[in-house]
Amino acid sequence: MRIVVPLKAVPDLVEEIEFTPEGTGIDREYLKFVLNEWDDQALEEALLVKEASGGEVAAVGLADDPDIDQALYTALAKGADSAVKVSGGGEDTHTRAALLAAYLKRSPADLILTGVQAPDDLDGQLPPMLAARLGLPHVSVVIAVEAADGSARVRQEFSGGRSQQLDVTLPAVVGVQAARQAPRYAPITRIRQVMQAGGVQEVTVQAGSPQPGLTIRRMYAPEKTGHAEMLEGGADAVADQVIELLRSRGLVKG
Amino acid sequence: MLIRVVLGAAITLTGLAFAGWRLLWLARLVRSGAPAPGRRSGAFRRLAAELVEVLGQRKLLKRWRSGLPHALVFWGFIILLFTIVEAFGDTFASKTFAIPAIGHSAPLGFIEDLFTVVVLVGVIVFSVTRLAESPARRGRKSRFYGSHTRAAWITLTMIAAVMITLLGYRAAQVNTGNFPYGPAAFASHGLGHLLHPLGASVNTGLETFFLLANIAAVMGFLVFVAYSKHLHIFLAPLNVAFSRRPRALGALADLPATPGAPGAGQIEQLSWKQLLDTLTCTECGRCQAACPAWNSSKPLSPKLLIMDLRDHLLAPGARLAGSPGQPAAAHGDPPSESPAGVTDLAAQAPDVISPEILWSCTTCGACVEQCPVDIEHVDTIVHLRRRLVDEGRIEPGVQQVLQADAQQGNSFGKSGRMRARWTRELGFAIPDARREPVRYLWFVGDFASFDERLQVLSRQLAYILHEAHADFGLLFEGEHDDGNDVRRVGEEGLFQMLAEHNMEAFRKASFQEIFTTDPHSFNTLRNEYPSYGLDKPVLHYSQLLERLLGDGAIPVEPLGLKVTYHDPCYLARHNRLTDPPRQVLRSLGCELVEMPRHGLNTYCCGAGGGRIWMTDGPQDSERPSENRIREAVALGVNYFVVACPKDFVMYTDAAKTTGNEEHIQVIDLIQLVDQARRPATALRAV
Amino acid sequence: MGNDVLVLAERVGKQLQDSTYELLAKARELAQAWGGNADVALFGPADLADQLTAADTVVSIDHPALSDYMPEAYEKALLHVLRERSPRLLLLSNATAGLDQGAALSVLWDAPLAAYAVGLSLDDGVPVATCQVLGGKVLAEVALEGERAICTVIGGSFSSATGQAAGSPEVVHIPPPPELDTARMSVQQVFEPEAGDVDITTADLLVSVGRGIGSKDDLELVQELADALGAPLSSSRPITDSGWLPKTRQVGKSGLKVKPKAYLAFGISGAPEHLEGMRGADLIIACNTDPGAPIFDVAHYGATVDLFDLVPALTGRLRR
Repeated sequence: MRIVVPLKAVPDLVEEIEFTPEGTGIDREYLKFVLNEWDDQALEEALLVKEASGGEVAAVGLADDPDIDQALYTALAKGADSAVKVSGGGEDTHTRAALLAAYLKRSPADLILTGVQAPDDLDGQLPPMLAARLGLPHVSVVIAVEAADGSARVRQEFSGGRSQQLDVTLPAVVGVQAARQAPRYAPITRIRQVMQAGGVQEVTVQAGSPQPGLTIRRMYAPEKTGHAEMLEGGADAVADQVIELLRSRGLVKG
Repeated sequence: MLIRVVLGAAITLTGLAFAGWRLLWLARLVRSGAPAPGRRSGAFRRLAAELVEVLGQRKLLKRWRSGLPHALVFWGFIILLFTIVEAFGDTFASKTFAIPAIGHSAPLGFIEDLFTVVVLVGVIVFSVTRLAESPARRGRKSRFYGSHTRAAWITLTMIAAVMITLLGYRAAQVNTGNFPYGPAAFASHGLGHLLHPLGASVNTGLETFFLLANIAAVMGFLVFVAYSKHLHIFLAPLNVAFSRRPRALGALADLPATPGAPGAGQIEQLSWKQLLDTLTCTECGRCQAACPAWNSSKPLSPKLLIMDLRDHLLAPGARLAGSPGQPAAAHGDPPSESPAGVTDLAAQAPDVISPEILWSCTTCGACVEQCPVDIEHVDTIVHLRRRLVDEGRIEPGVQQVLQADAQQGNSFGKSGRMRARWTRELGFAIPDARREPVRYLWFVGDFASFDERLQVLSRQLAYILHEAHADFGLLFEGEHDDGNDVRRVGEEGLFQMLAEHNMEAFRKASFQEIFTTDPHSFNTLRNEYPSYGLDKPVLHYSQLLERLLGDGAIPVEPLGLKVTYHDPCYLARHNRLTDPPRQVLRSLGCELVEMPRHGLNTYCCGAGGGRIWMTDGPQDSERPSENRIREAVALGVNYFVVACPKDFVMYTDAAKTTGNEEHIQVIDLIQLVDQARRPATALRAV
Repeated sequence: MGNDVLVLAERVGKQLQDSTYELLAKARELAQAWGGNADVALFGPADLADQLTAADTVVSIDHPALSDYMPEAYEKALLHVLRERSPRLLLLSNATAGLDQGAALSVLWDAPLAAYAVGLSLDDGVPVATCQVLGGKVLAEVALEGERAICTVIGGSFSSATGQAAGSPEVVHIPPPPELDTARMSVQQVFEPEAGDVDITTADLLVSVGRGIGSKDDLELVQELADALGAPLSSSRPITDSGWLPKTRQVGKSGLKVKPKAYLAFGISGAPEHLEGMRGADLIIACNTDPGAPIFDVAHYGATVDLFDLVPALTGRLRR
């Protein structure tokens, strides 16, 4: 079974975001980029599926994504069997879906696991777009995947603690919300070993450039509406103040 | 004579056979450990260590109440080697055997007698100590908690037996006329006097009896030693000879990676020196008593850790040298399973080392400092941690810190570009050492750069240095986490990456010396970065301040404050720097009242070794930092002076949580210097 | 160019979710400006049509494959409705269905999609969405020019009042398209939240924990405080993901939205997904050792003391 995990590099959210002079985009030049945390979850789930049922895991990134090599080598260090860098790139999901679909038509997968969303996918999420282009069934917001013999059993999550289990015929695309366990740690030593060994394949594809069709008029930081009044003192002093706050609202007796 | 020879031979050969077989087996065990580089270099320093630490009993005398009796007993054993030679001579050679040249000299007789008595008194003192410190009564507070107390009592009994039979023999010899020494041998003659009324034939019988009993006691003791923790009497000199010089502190030991994975996961992956460490441990518990983790009810005791490793090493069916009938595994063979099915050292099974124990360590080095036989606990703990990290068995919080550190170059999870934000509020520009040459490169470190409370201190120091016209600069965002604590958490690969990055930044910059306010940064820059190519002097800021104050570059008025000073672990113990901060305090006209645990015996705040990144859970007992604040408050001083950013944070919090905010103020050297040079601004009145 | 707005009704069994009414309210506003209809696509049994009084049309498709929410069936049905009705704008909630359908239909229906909208208005007839991206750090004003568009909306962004106005919509039953008869997936089992557990959405006071709690054993400490206050224990996502509390205690975008009189947050950093679930509380008191934690931007009161010191201090006072 071939499991493909498309990965996206996104701005590290600890960074302060600055905007372009026109104010219609973010200034990406000095940002640090990290692996999309939902894709990290998808990679973990893929490795768990491989550990449970066998198969091989291929991590796939787009060559123009900043620092994508880091994410691909980390995936190899965690146990992915191969890593592929597909030519091209794009900030919008429509373009990315076209490139990845072109790759997947050439090198089909039985199961495609990727993050349900990315922090910057303004024009829509990858898994459904990829599935639509490939004509495959898809399920998003998945928190567990079991796969074997041409079919997958997935757990799809709704709000309020509800969820459902679906059986899906493979090949299929799954948008992962969370893996069954937290993404494993890749020790730097292993990542460096993998980097030395090389092994990221580079692949060129041709794809149209679909336009997302959005006109971004303005990008800006939301105004902070306020900040908490900080309570001073040690734990005892703070506890007194908290009790008083609750008491004055009738939430604590006495 | 014939009886002596026959029985003596029987006893001796039996004893030597048992002891010898055991010692050979232990030697094979040790030799089958992994390589330990650098243990044979520096012969003179090692010889000096033998003289000072073994012969001179230096570390033991640090705690003189148990150290002095031990030293006396030890010297006694050395002296009494003469009596053992004499005993064997008397058994196998002739009844009037004498050691060539000195054999009958009065001083020798006197010294032999003196030390026999001294040893007996020592045994009594030890017994009293063991009763007073009994773990049955004092629980975890006793340094003998977890030690094999029965073996200890057997040891004391056997030593007493050797002494008593020796005296008995000598006393009988006095009466049979075979005693070679004059009345200076007071004890022998004194006891001989008491035995005299028993008559000549009884004394002759006693003479042979006590001699053989003495031989038996010595041989029995030898066999017992070979099979017990008391083996330290042979192994300690050996362990000291091969220990890291000058000490196993500062830089971490250079331990080679196991092929396949870093660190050690199975016992045979520890180096032969680490295995020797476990066999040398005498279970004295000085490390345990000094350990801040143990004293705050954490599961880690350095002593118990070493003992557990030793027990695992010696376990029946141990795969190394093999019990009789088992083939010895060669180093590099795939690890085999012990009978319990446990291959991992840091496993979930309770009989080996649980990861929780390993993660409790702050790497403060108090254990290493105390250990009289130079066991290298910290190196072993870190080496075991390396395997845990490689297997991803780390707390989620620590995982996040390491991942963010790899990504952004700091342990705070902040954007690397924010590192030098603290400089923005200064009224002047700090030179960029990446662009212009400076004399002093200020390596700020993560804490002093990113923690809001510490940024205030950083700015204060910047003003002080600026107004003292010190030629200093920063690397700004070019600086990454120094990696000291990353390395001690066991992420060796990340440490290398950080060190390589920082070295690259150093190479491109232009400076003559580095200084830092963080003792952890200081430690790794000074001791570990040279192997990455750093060849500039590294200073702690207290040394720089000492220099500037001494030169008059910072004019100050005496403060007249009564303070105590907390030595940071990484400054005092790991790097032996205790004087510069004290000199600074003197220059500022402060009266220093020392805490009982000061200087090299300083008590850790609890933040080191990556502990500051770990979640503690609810605290059932006092934190180390709280214990320390109470120690200071008891002195009646108003100020608790620190020289480390983590100490500042830890002790400020501890002053709050112990309710001592009104009694003591935690203050950094920087603040005191600032105060002394601008007397107008009043310190907060306490 | 059509000038209708179509809303996908989000149903759970016999209930329509609040989001449906919020979207319907917005649909009416936009449709009125365009001179078109505000329609609702309702799949499965049409009995719920009478709860959609504010719609102009209820477009109903009923088929066994649509009795539960099944991604593939809903996609086929919705695409069919879009092709039949050709609305100008499709509105979806940013919940599971929206995350399944929106992006797929963007490709299949060839319409631009603006995701994570917290605001939607018209500028000279052109829909302009205000979208929240990058963890809430950035807002993007996005214009959806062209003949048709899709917008997925974050729950709670619009008032639902006019979405529940009285009226008598036309109910149009569309015959199920034949592609609904085949499917490459099937629903095996539906898991309801644990029955008998506390409903945190009705509590006056909530004691909530986040990652700062460290380990499952430490929960007991906070449970004691919750007991002393007579309040249920709730949490952010990491706690329920780890299984330390049941999903019914999870506050946030993929959990439950709560509006208690007071919300005490211990060791919660304040990720946008969590804030979405509790920012409406009357009084928010947050305890986190990181003074820069985003929770402090929505909390009314905050403290940086260690929760392991504060929680026992509070419990102690309450027990006196």
